[in-house]
Amino acid sequence: MISVSKLLCDLDAEGDGLRYDAADESTKSQIRDEKQRRPVVVWNVTKQCNLYCDHCYAAADTDIADGELSTAEGKALLDDLADYGAPVVLFSGGEPLVRQDLEELVAYANEVGVRPVLSTNGTLITEERAASLKAAGLKYAGVSVDGLPERNDDFRGLDGAFEGAVRGIENCLDAGLKTGLRYTITERNAPDLEGVVDLLTDVGVDRFCFYHLDYGGRGTEIVDADLTPEDRRAAVKRVCDMTRAYHDRGEEIETLLVGNYADAAYLVEYAREHMSEAQARRVYDYLRVNGGDPTGERVADVDYQGNVHLTQFWQGYSLGNVRDRPFGAIWEDESNPLLRQLRNREAHLKGKCADCRYAGVCRGASRLRALTTEDDLFAPDPQCYLTDDEVHGPAPFDAGTDVANPAD
Amino acid sequence: MERLDDEVDAPRGATSREWELFVSEDPAEPLTHAGSVSAPTAAVAREQASALFAHSVERLWLCPADETRRFQTAEQSLVADDAHADADATMDHEEMAAETLQGDAE
Repeated sequence: MISVSKLLCDLDAEGDGLRYDAADESTKSQIRDEKQRRPVVVWNVTKQCNLYCDHCYAAADTDIADGELSTAEGKALLDDLADYGAPVVLFSGGEPLVRQDLEELVAYANEVGVRPVLSTNGTLITEERAASLKAAGLKYAGVSVDGLPERNDDFRGLDGAFEGAVRGIENCLDAGLKTGLRYTITERNAPDLEGVVDLLTDVGVDRFCFYHLDYGGRGTEIVDADLTPEDRRAAVKRVCDMTRAYHDRGEEIETLLVGNYADAAYLVEYAREHMSEAQARRVYDYLRVNGGDPTGERVADVDYQGNVHLTQFWQGYSLGNVRDRPFGAIWEDESNPLLRQLRNREAHLKGKCADCRYAGVCRGASRLRALTTEDDLFAPDPQCYLTDDEVHGPAPFDAGTDVANPAD
Repeated sequence: MERLDDEVDAPRGATSREWELFVSEDPAEPLTHAGSVSAPTAAVAREQASALFAHSVERLWLCPADETRRFQTAEQSLVADDAHADADATMDHEEMAAETLQGDAE
């Protein structure tokens, strides 16, 4: 996750500590000691969903699937995550609100000290449910909307899904729950980006996460609908321009880019071209601390059956199952050569990634996309949109900056 | 054998059949478990596993997860035996449909 508003507009936000601070300097309760080195864990609590989205990485559908972790097993998993020091659990799905014990699990995560946040399509969030989630201690709800009404509903397979999501967002905000947007950018919905932000800021949303499409689950079936590198660059520039325009008007929205660390390099180039060399350096130094693509390191996924994955998008391969071994034992087990190689990926990257001068802030971006399109784990990410001039040459800045205090 | 009386019999395949992977980086060393891949057939599982591990291993075995019986001591179980079978926590199909888009119905 790359915070555009933090890097270009110096907006501080709750999650920034996880991305940019040194742990011992953080004042935020979830970011202490070794917690920062532990992954944020996405838990797909169910495969069942009331919608059928074209790009669903979990290939969710309306049927109940076998082998869901029970309430008791879920609490044991949360104990396990707390023991290991996972800072955050992101309840996801499927649609997590189809689980009637969601509030019980959220409350338990809160009780054992793992910050509970939620990813939802919003269409099941009534006033009552929003209030009960807030009371259970939920800290944040990210609601997925993928375009203005017609485009979103087409994408999500249900007429009225857009209005339903907006009602859900309003119910969350009325309950006092911090709420944000999740938007996966594709060729089909890229034109709606600013329109959706304008509309939802009027509703009261002030946090917007823009996801690049990853090629997992049903996402592999719409690779052709993904943006071209040129269109992707233009879309990312629009996110940067829009963020600055909002802040220039005094509206402090938080904007984030997720799922393509070529964005890290682009933000440095953007700051250099549109702001200043000093700002570009600040951006670069923050992003070096951020550490590039987090797959297999700073983000993990546990699916509804307890299988542990390298990211939530990479459902086709599992490292192990929490019914067989504790999460921490699976995640720490570098006898697995794949896990070891991914954590040392700089030594294995090929093609233009091998000597890219931005490798330190990108780390080859998505290995899953490379695997899906090139059948090669260490080939360049097909979504890279950097120019040859940006890729080649010496490191953008010397590496002598004090990592613990990158803004100085 | 009596110690290993806890059977982990929950299904392992999230989207299709699951295949347990065993690999060896050194021909002289025994195989070790290295996770699993989801694939409809052994041939596809082999392709997927090879793409992930061909860089690093000398030997690779695939075993269908639904033909694997997993036993462990009771202490290793995620929860006590009687907690495995909670009442289903997930809405049924009808209830889910009835609850959808009801955000402003109260």
